[in-house]
Amino acid sequence: MSTDLSLVGAPTLPAANRWQLKLLRHGASLAFLTILLVFAATAPNFLSPTNLSNVVAQSAILGILAFGLTLVIIGGGSNVVSGGLDLSLAANLGLSAAVYATLNNAGASAASSIALTLACGLAIGALNGLVVVGLRLPPLLATLASMNLIAGLELVLTENTVLPTDSPLLDLLSFGQWLGQPALAWVFLVVALLLTLLTQFSRYGLRLYAVGEYPEAATAAGLPVASYQFSSYLLSGLCGSLASFCSAAWFSGSTTGSGEMLLSVVAIAFLGSVFSQRLRPSITGTLLATLLVGFLVNGFQLLNISSFWVNGVQGVLILLVVASSSLLRGSV
Amino acid sequence: MSQNRDFDIGRRALLGAGVTLAAGLGLSSLARAATPSGAASDDSAVPSLAGKRIAISTVGTSIYFDSRAFAAQVEEVKRLGGTPITLDAGRNDKAMVTQLQNLVTQKPDAVIHTLGTLSIIDPWFKRIAAAGIPLFTIEVPSQYAINTISADNWSTGLILAKKLVADLRGKGRVLVFNGFYGVPSCGIRYDQLKLVTKFYPQIEFIEPELRDAIPNTVQDARSQVAALLNKYPKGEIDAIWAAWDLPQLGASQALIDAGRTEIKTYGVDGTPEVLDLLKRPDTPVAAVVSQQPALIGRLAVQNVARYLAGEHDLPKETFVETLLTTANNVDDVRRIRGDA
Repeated sequence: MSTDLSLVGAPTLPAANRWQLKLLRHGASLAFLTILLVFAATAPNFLSPTNLSNVVAQSAILGILAFGLTLVIIGGGSNVVSGGLDLSLAANLGLSAAVYATLNNAGASAASSIALTLACGLAIGALNGLVVVGLRLPPLLATLASMNLIAGLELVLTENTVLPTDSPLLDLLSFGQWLGQPALAWVFLVVALLLTLLTQFSRYGLRLYAVGEYPEAATAAGLPVASYQFSSYLLSGLCGSLASFCSAAWFSGSTTGSGEMLLSVVAIAFLGSVFSQRLRPSITGTLLATLLVGFLVNGFQLLNISSFWVNGVQGVLILLVVASSSLLRGSV
Repeated sequence: MSQNRDFDIGRRALLGAGVTLAAGLGLSSLARAATPSGAASDDSAVPSLAGKRIAISTVGTSIYFDSRAFAAQVEEVKRLGGTPITLDAGRNDKAMVTQLQNLVTQKPDAVIHTLGTLSIIDPWFKRIAAAGIPLFTIEVPSQYAINTISADNWSTGLILAKKLVADLRGKGRVLVFNGFYGVPSCGIRYDQLKLVTKFYPQIEFIEPELRDAIPNTVQDARSQVAALLNKYPKGEIDAIWAAWDLPQLGASQALIDAGRTEIKTYGVDGTPEVLDLLKRPDTPVAAVVSQQPALIGRLAVQNVARYLAGEHDLPKETFVETLLTTANNVDDVRRIRGDA
């Protein structure tokens, strides 16, 4: 990789090049900071504690789904076509939320409703793991197929209708506060912390990275590559069902159209890697990317920029960040 | 119709316009919509919104009803000197709820929200109301709204159901789209259909009911009906009913494709494409109850202006009449709504 350095004219301008590299490496964080500063200076109430904690809570659903995808990308490699990918996450959320709403409305106990909902997510993860790792199907196609299967099951269960539901758990997630912060914000941050500990500070995490980035080396070192990749799909499935509780709290039940979240989830998970200096997918990167998107939507609204513009500007920002990151890829 | 003060002007304008439509329709709303310039004299009596920020939140702007209602609200807020905060959720519940939550921070002078599933948005309406922000709704009768303006969905459902029963002469098999019973306006219209047909035992509903979908409503309805036409040969279906007219549009297209225009379709909203179909000589569209979304949008903003000016005795609900539209009066309806 270091030979690429000469391609950008480094030998003649070493100081300038170092500066450029630094700028590119921290480009995403700088962009994030700039956006926050601009909103802080221009958008009324942007920095109010209620607004900031609202954005964190609003980010919980997309963020936890994106954590699931990040784990799969860590375990399978970040190549969009041949690496790890789970396109069934949003559909998983839809089905899991529908399962929870149905069980809860049918009078099942809180423990069994929660357990079966988590089991639903794990089963979807296991299915994805089996087809990707066991049958060696490309994850792009395999999880696309499971996405359709799961979305179909959701339609059968809900008949494409909203299933309102209410439970102490959902009330706690919707209205609960701790230290003045909404419960969903805590859920999001705690899940982020646990997964960061798992991926960055445990033997499992270190090996998951090894399996994803250097599968041949990992195999040669005797690591059970298939098992690690399978486990990443299981964790991803679990994230889908965890996010479904947040979604059920947010929408007071299960709602249709959860599949629409998929593109945002994919964008956030891949955007997350530009927050890492080495462009590796990471839970903290995904956390920052989720918050970036959340603050963008929030800031635009507070600035009364027509919502018609939000998607366009978001797209341009993502394009800029990704473009600078690919420049960086070519330079390191 | 609770806008009694419009009635006198409405009647004069109606006579001037010389519009005659089916009996039972509200004169005031017909006339106001028929003569926007005439109505302006009444509109000028509305208090100013100068210096006020009015949030105009909508579930989406992709169909005729909400795009017309949304545009009319924005125009009316500007006309009255206020600043509109426009929030289009793009038919995405997550975006809609996020926008409503952000409004609590944004603290506009009032919020007008259009459409949506009540069970999803009501908890967020509660928070907006608790934050002391006056909430007004269109087509969502929430307990937290100061005023809800909507088409009179009871009479709309009733008019449509009576038309269907009359066309079928009290006997026939009906296919129903019922995908959005949870959306109050759709639920009310569906219940009215069932209420009327309960007394006509020879009217039979085909089970299972069909589920209309969002997005791709038209295409989805078209393929669902096309598939069912093979299952039910001529004489086995007499009518198709939907709570709004995008499924009706898809169903009607499928009927035209298959040459099965003996089956008649019924719906609500008056989307321009459905009105176009009404003009075809072999149209399967028997009737569509047309809404007046631009009028609804204007009246919603005027209610906000009155409330902010201190008129706190607004009715809880304002109903705007709908127009039963058939091949005979489609041009009149277009003119009344200001489409033509």
